[in-house]
Amino acid sequence: MKALGIISFENSQANVGGLDDYRPVPAISFLGRYRIIDFILSNMTNSGIDNVHVYCKEKPRNLFDHLGAGQQYNINSKRGQLRILYGEKSFAAEVYNNDIANYMLNMQYIEEDSNPYVIVAPSYFIYSLDFTNVLQQHIESKSDITVLYTNTSEAKEHFLDCDTLTMDKDKRITEIGHNRGKRKSAAISLEAYVLSKNLFIELVKKASETSSLYWFRDILNDSLEELTVTGYGIKGFVGCINSLSEYFRITMALSDRATAKGLFKPGWPIYTQTNDSAPTIYGKTSDVCGSVIANGCVIEGTVADSVVSRNVTIRKGAIIKNSIILPGAYIGENAKLDHVIVDKYAIIHHVKELKGTAEEPVYVKRRDRI
Amino acid sequence: MRANNMAAMILAGGRGSRLHELTKKVAKPAVHFGGKYRIIDFPLSNCANSGISTVGVLTQYESVLLNAYVAKDQFWGLDTNNGGVYVLTPRETDDKGLDVFRGTADAITQNIDFLDSINPEYVLILSGDHIYKMNYEKMLAYHQRKQADATIAVLQVTLEEATRFGIMNCDKDDMIEEFEEKPAHPKSNLASMGIYIFNYKTLRKYLLQDDKNPDSSHDFGKDIIPTYLNDHRRLAAYRFKGYWKDVGTVDSLWESNMDLLESNNQLDLGDQGWKIYTENINSLPTYIGDEAKINNAYITQGSIVLGEVKNSVIGTGAEIGKGAKVVDSVIQPGAKIGEGAKVTRCIVADNVEVAPGAVLGSSKSEHIDLVAKKYAE
Repeated sequence: MKALGIISFENSQANVGGLDDYRPVPAISFLGRYRIIDFILSNMTNSGIDNVHVYCKEKPRNLFDHLGAGQQYNINSKRGQLRILYGEKSFAAEVYNNDIANYMLNMQYIEEDSNPYVIVAPSYFIYSLDFTNVLQQHIESKSDITVLYTNTSEAKEHFLDCDTLTMDKDKRITEIGHNRGKRKSAAISLEAYVLSKNLFIELVKKASETSSLYWFRDILNDSLEELTVTGYGIKGFVGCINSLSEYFRITMALSDRATAKGLFKPGWPIYTQTNDSAPTIYGKTSDVCGSVIANGCVIEGTVADSVVSRNVTIRKGAIIKNSIILPGAYIGENAKLDHVIVDKYAIIHHVKELKGTAEEPVYVKRRDRI
Repeated sequence: MRANNMAAMILAGGRGSRLHELTKKVAKPAVHFGGKYRIIDFPLSNCANSGISTVGVLTQYESVLLNAYVAKDQFWGLDTNNGGVYVLTPRETDDKGLDVFRGTADAITQNIDFLDSINPEYVLILSGDHIYKMNYEKMLAYHQRKQADATIAVLQVTLEEATRFGIMNCDKDDMIEEFEEKPAHPKSNLASMGIYIFNYKTLRKYLLQDDKNPDSSHDFGKDIIPTYLNDHRRLAAYRFKGYWKDVGTVDSLWESNMDLLESNNQLDLGDQGWKIYTENINSLPTYIGDEAKINNAYITQGSIVLGEVKNSVIGTGAEIGKGAKVVDSVIQPGAKIGEGAKVTRCIVADNVEVAPGAVLGSSKSEHIDLVAKKYAE
């Protein structure tokens, strides 16, 4: 495919409370064995994009560890390249650490790339999509920019703070707004853009000259009149992990097989790094139902309607319900968890009961000991 | 990684005919074990974990899948600059034409040119169809300490079992004095595990000599080791303690799968310090349905469990339908158990579909049923 993949980072409103204190959003563990970035990156490589830039906003270690040179994403190691681009500059304030500033810092790598098109997409939107069709339609439509979107009738509850699109009957975008949860229905922008590389560079430079606080969506918004910007609707599962409650809700939704089928499609593998964990042992005292369980766990307790990641230990008498347990956590005997997110390597030992709600799950910090 | 100067040669040419249909289209080393592994993952992972960088895999019987599999040396981290996994199959040569491997020793003799090109100081001979974890680096240190010409790993078995093995009779320093193949009246309980370390230069001489001997069966146990003993070469026995299984039959393959269900089992595949590596399959975690019941099971990712699983091992991508009941069984990767089917004391082979409502196996059966038909009713 004749496109450079650019994985941009989440907008500044995204705040996956607690989880993103320790790692950038793309590197957050997801659905037992994945990281959030696996989805967009697999979409790109499955679409035949062999050159991918991953922009990292902060805390790059997790991302370097997880992505490596990208072989596990099926990137041809000779003809393709996965680049992790970190700002390499300390910004005077958080607000200056936006996508445009990072593109500008790495402009030479974008200019050097020989692909005529770029496909820009952030990792915190989770969906499954063949970009080949998007690029083809983009070329045929003679649009300057194609913007991916999804229609939702749950805009009051979900996709809060995401961009919304207003389109005319030819799907030409006339306005980019903000979802403040006022209306039920909305076309939510996936912040994913297809355009020629030259136009991309031009817009990035223009944005940078206009304001050092500008994001790409801002310069796009400014250009809606002079450029033809068209929407491309996608169907199937779409989620945006921009808050802890959405992280919780989306994970739980995907633990249902019927919902998961809208994301995991035959012939469209979602790649991730292997951990070479052994299969999971379900002991004689275990009782597990309605859950998603990764490898490497030892389960002796009760697990219902939960997602359990790799190498988790759940001791006898523990009861885990409606919870997400991240890799390496230890849940001691008789602990009772309901609506809890337990971060990596946390140890729950003496506390006997933790209870949250779907809207406000209890979060147990990484390596915490309680 | 800087490796030791020992090359490993894994004998993986055997069919394992007592595994019946399981080895109809694949060689025994490629048979699945423990839900996600293939048997050959064990010696390959042991090599990688023991700092061995060059591994030759000698294949012969139904080798298409096996050759392709082991060639992906990155699965085991063996894709280093100076090493790798080398697939060695019988080949046509200028002086001998096309020859199959006539025995374990002959398989190595026919690849002497390969070993010469590596020029290792030591050669480790392994079997591709044993399940165990072993640090070959420790065995090499022992071999060096004993100043042996060859060292043979041995396992202590009961005298009853000893009649089925090659038995080493040793002096008080564990130097081998006599070797007996399947003795009726064993004098010792030290059984050969088919794991040998040789000083390559000496072995090379013996192999070439053996090649010219028309009476030889070209086998390590039957020919090479006895000749070493006759020549009063120094042969050391290296005592191995731990889990070791040669899964030669359907029953024993089932048994060693069942061993995994014991908590604190000896094989301990969860040991972070000695991982067993295998193919990276891009599958989802295990999905467990609302009505599922799981008790004492070993289940790997990619599987879907909607029914009941008891005392069983469930492989990658296997599916257990609603209301199905899997008891005391091994469901190999990709097999699907239809709704309401009952499977008891069975091994259900890879990708087999069991019809809804089918009843297979019995809790009273003497042997384990192998279900290998593509569609079983």
